[in-house]
Amino acid sequence: MLARRTLGRIASQPPALGAAPSQARNMATLREIELRLKSVRNIEKITKSMKMIASTKLAKAQRAMQAGKQYGIANTEIFAHTGAEEAGKRKLFIVISSDKGLCGGIHSSVSKATRRAFAEKDKVDEDSPIMVIGDKSKAQLSRALPKNLVLTFNQIGRDIPTFADAAGVADLILTSDVKYDKIAIVYNKFVSAISYESAVVEIDPENLLKESPGFKAYEMEDDVTKDLAEFTLANAIYATLVEAHACEQSARRNAMDNASKNASDMINRLTMQYNRGRQAAITNELVDIITGASAL
Amino acid sequence: MGILANHAPTIEPLRPGVVEVIEGGNTSKKWFVSGGFATVHPNNKLTINAVEAAPLDAFSPEAVRANLQEALKVAAGNGSEEDKVEARIEADVYEALQHALSK
Repeated sequence: MLARRTLGRIASQPPALGAAPSQARNMATLREIELRLKSVRNIEKITKSMKMIASTKLAKAQRAMQAGKQYGIANTEIFAHTGAEEAGKRKLFIVISSDKGLCGGIHSSVSKATRRAFAEKDKVDEDSPIMVIGDKSKAQLSRALPKNLVLTFNQIGRDIPTFADAAGVADLILTSDVKYDKIAIVYNKFVSAISYESAVVEIDPENLLKESPGFKAYEMEDDVTKDLAEFTLANAIYATLVEAHACEQSARRNAMDNASKNASDMINRLTMQYNRGRQAAITNELVDIITGASAL
Repeated sequence: MGILANHAPTIEPLRPGVVEVIEGGNTSKKWFVSGGFATVHPNNKLTINAVEAAPLDAFSPEAVRANLQEALKVAAGNGSEEDKVEARIEADVYEALQHALSK
């Protein structure tokens, strides 16, 4: 009776030849799953630590941004009073981004805003010059608008931007021989710790200020218009640099947060898979042993 | 230069020196400003844009004197024209600081 039943059982099982390779395949995939698990665990550690670093940097950057924002508002106060004249269309775009990646959509946000501004053909000249701060946006814009790039800056934004950085940038812009009617600074505005949006700040250069009627209402001892224009440009660059820096830290924190969450989800899934595979392999081995033993 | 309320709109460049804000009572606050612009707007607002400003008691006279000597040395020395001009500006700031602190 026993013998007949075991014979029947052996016959009803999948052929013995099939069992060995699938067991071998399971062992191979078990190894693969183990390797994947190890690498995803490492990645999760890295993204978690990047998120911590970005959080602490964000706290500092936000404090600097509060001060910088007030500075920027005070700076553009004068433009609120000097009426906006119909300027020429040749705008100098200063695009503010940074050199480092892994920060979500910061760089593509400013690049898209610049391209959208260029698409408005009746407001912007086609060969308006563009100056980019930061390598990432430089790469994107050199693919989209290669003929318009004039100057690029890098190594700015590694730490909280200082007025010295902004003054250096403004100095290089003013000493270059680029001709423009108006200056537009494209940057990321800080909306909240989890969101930002691209924005444009416009600065009038010296000759535009002089011709504006509101400006003539101001008394000046000597003609300091040129100095004022240069100073406001440096101030505006400083305020936007600081705000863009804060946006970048918050975006990096959110991106790394999402990445860590995804990584831990993946680790859970892979661990389940690994355990199931391990148990299946053990069960197969047991079945083999038992059938082998009962066949004796 | 003194600015009272409802001053005519003006733009003034600021040399390094002391800015004093006199509040309602007889209190006043003093800051040393490194330079910048003071703008009076038509809507009776005064904006002072300065690169750096610090309350007067944050400065130490010793350090000011030492740095002033350094700057004067470089200004009188034989560096490049740019270096000498920078040192001259530095010396001006320190002299103004000294003057403000000694009052």
